[in-house]
Amino acid sequence: MRLLELLRAAQFRWALLVAAAFVACTLVLFGFFYWQTCMYVTANIDSAIMEEAHLIAGDPPADGRQDVLAAIGRRLRDDPRRIRLAGLFGPGGDRIAGNVAALPIGLPLDGRAHATLLTRLDASGREQQTVRAVGIRLTSHDVLVIGRDAQEVRWTADIVGRALALGLLPAICLALLAGAWLSLRAQRRIDAMRRQASRIVAGELQERLPIQSTRDPLDRLGVIVNRMLDEIEELVRALAGVGEDIAHEIRTPLTRVRATLERGRDQAGTLGELQELNDRALADLDKSLAIVTALLRIAEIDHERHAAELEVVKLTEIVQEVGELYDPIAEDKGVVLRVETDDATPVVGDRDLLFEAVANLVDNAVKFTPAGGAVEVSLRPGADGPVIRVADTGPGIDPSDRDAVTRRFYRADKSRGTQGVGLGLSLVAAIAKRHGFMLVISVGSGCVVDIVCRAARPMLARHVTSLPGPPELGSPIPVSSVPAPTRHLAAE
Amino acid sequence: MPATLPREDDRATEGLLARILVIEDDDGTAEEVMTALGDRGYRPERVASGTDGLDRARQGDWDLLVLDRMLPGMDGLAVLEALRGDNIMTPVLVLSALGAVNDRIRGLRAGGDDYLAKPFALGELVARLEALLRRPATLRETILRVGPLELDLLARLAHRGHRELELLPREFQLLEYMMRREGQVLTRAMLLEQVWKYRFVPQTNLVDVHIGRLRRKLDGPDETPMILSVRGVGFMLHAPA
Repeated sequence: MRLLELLRAAQFRWALLVAAAFVACTLVLFGFFYWQTCMYVTANIDSAIMEEAHLIAGDPPADGRQDVLAAIGRRLRDDPRRIRLAGLFGPGGDRIAGNVAALPIGLPLDGRAHATLLTRLDASGREQQTVRAVGIRLTSHDVLVIGRDAQEVRWTADIVGRALALGLLPAICLALLAGAWLSLRAQRRIDAMRRQASRIVAGELQERLPIQSTRDPLDRLGVIVNRMLDEIEELVRALAGVGEDIAHEIRTPLTRVRATLERGRDQAGTLGELQELNDRALADLDKSLAIVTALLRIAEIDHERHAAELEVVKLTEIVQEVGELYDPIAEDKGVVLRVETDDATPVVGDRDLLFEAVANLVDNAVKFTPAGGAVEVSLRPGADGPVIRVADTGPGIDPSDRDAVTRRFYRADKSRGTQGVGLGLSLVAAIAKRHGFMLVISVGSGCVVDIVCRAARPMLARHVTSLPGPPELGSPIPVSSVPAPTRHLAAE
Repeated sequence: MPATLPREDDRATEGLLARILVIEDDDGTAEEVMTALGDRGYRPERVASGTDGLDRARQGDWDLLVLDRMLPGMDGLAVLEALRGDNIMTPVLVLSALGAVNDRIRGLRAGGDDYLAKPFALGELVARLEALLRRPATLRETILRVGPLELDLLARLAHRGHRELELLPREFQLLEYMMRREGQVLTRAMLLEQVWKYRFVPQTNLVDVHIGRLRRKLDGPDETPMILSVRGVGFMLHAPA
């Protein structure tokens, strides 16, 4: 079973392929060695016999034939390996001396070495040999043949062949073993990863793929997958958190509704009493519905990709209108609301949404500022465009809470009990993000919230209606390099 | 001062037994809407699908259509576009479970006269329907009068009797809107949309505070209050008897 799996494994097939390639390479290499060695040996033989032949033939003495015969005799004397050949033939091809039976047919008499088949004739008898031989016609018209058995070449071939046989087999085995080991190792790691992945799929989101810190491709893939799992885990937890928060926030008024209705049914004596309890239940239901509406609204702002109403927006107007809208509320509460507009740079955006964002900030500020305090709404020029600031003299937001306040339903404990749904800042964050603006929460004498806008480019301002979607909103720099728009927390 | 919604009797005397066609597939919602409309003295009829709705709307002589956005058979917006294509200009209030702002815009662009997102309070629905049924006839008047109240739109002057009211621009607009709809219940959302042109749900009782200010300027200490609070729904301007 395990072996079958191994054979099926891609790694093992890969190992086989590598082994085959290794064998092929070795064969080619050996072939090349063989060829080169043969060439070398042959060249050596050739130069030796050519030199000898020319030496014998080149210096004709007075009585040429005697000297030649003596030289042949010298040549053939000490030859225990029976590799030397020499012969002298008359002009008609008849044998005069030497151990070559007959003038080899086809041997050109050009004084160069050629491969030749000839018959050796000596004390041991006749023997056909493939030799390297030189034929040369002497000035006396005799023909001199000097040769040497090419068995050295064959020996070389034998040695190379043996080495090949001895070396290749172990090499193949080694390659296969190495391949098997590598694939087994990889298989084991993949098995481990697969087991972990199945556990993760089964819902154990805290599990991670095993990493061996070898920085090989598998590890790097594992690292990426693990990072992805981190993200997913965080998202799932956040989502679950939101779900729980929603359930909790909605359950509270619903519980009251239930109690109120029950009381009305059991205890109301008159129609008036029943109506009163009914009204109370309705108010609580409205609160639940308001939560649902606000959530849907944030989801809509978060996800809707096509802004319907993009236009050039004058923030000055928005800030002043919000000021006008909330002035009576602040006054009733004994809070001073100051509005200052010091920047007329237009931005591109959805006017209603931007208004809603500013209104929400002012709403929050007025709500959290105790009587006698002040809320300041200002519009001032910043680095990339106007900055809308809403500062109050309320309790402020703890640095540790600042990231959390833009989360849905988050309310610092001290604000619990104050009217309103804990969704205000999440909504503002969603609106800012949609516009590519930044939401910065910091501390002044109370809480300071900035919406850092980006000024509209003149070109964009002219073609607002053709803008495809929110990320491009008035962006003076490519979208990819836009800093993370929300949850940016300024240094104190 | 709380008051209840005007009931059937008041309406009957005004001869406003309007015929309303409700095109809504959800039985529960339809039943509540039908009951609420019947209670107010209207004669509502209901159909449950888009195709039937279009047929009925084409046949009948309706004063008003209540049209759900998502319908089986034919989408609510398609029904609306078909009607407007036939030059049937009956006022239409579009209902939708899609809370989306853009959906609202699409609804209004397709020819709807008002748009209400689900879930809604019945009071809100009725108030909006009545606003549609009783649209101000002429907008050409330059002086509006309700009881002792007089609003000079050209001179931007407001008087209650001989007393001049010092109104901020927005208060002037608010009063003008309410005077044009004298005796009608106006919800907070309607006021915010129509007077301030805002379409968001404020977390605080913004409208109440602004109405409160206007009321303090309008109703002197020993004068009969003219701005009534309609419990759970909104406000109403009426002339003292």
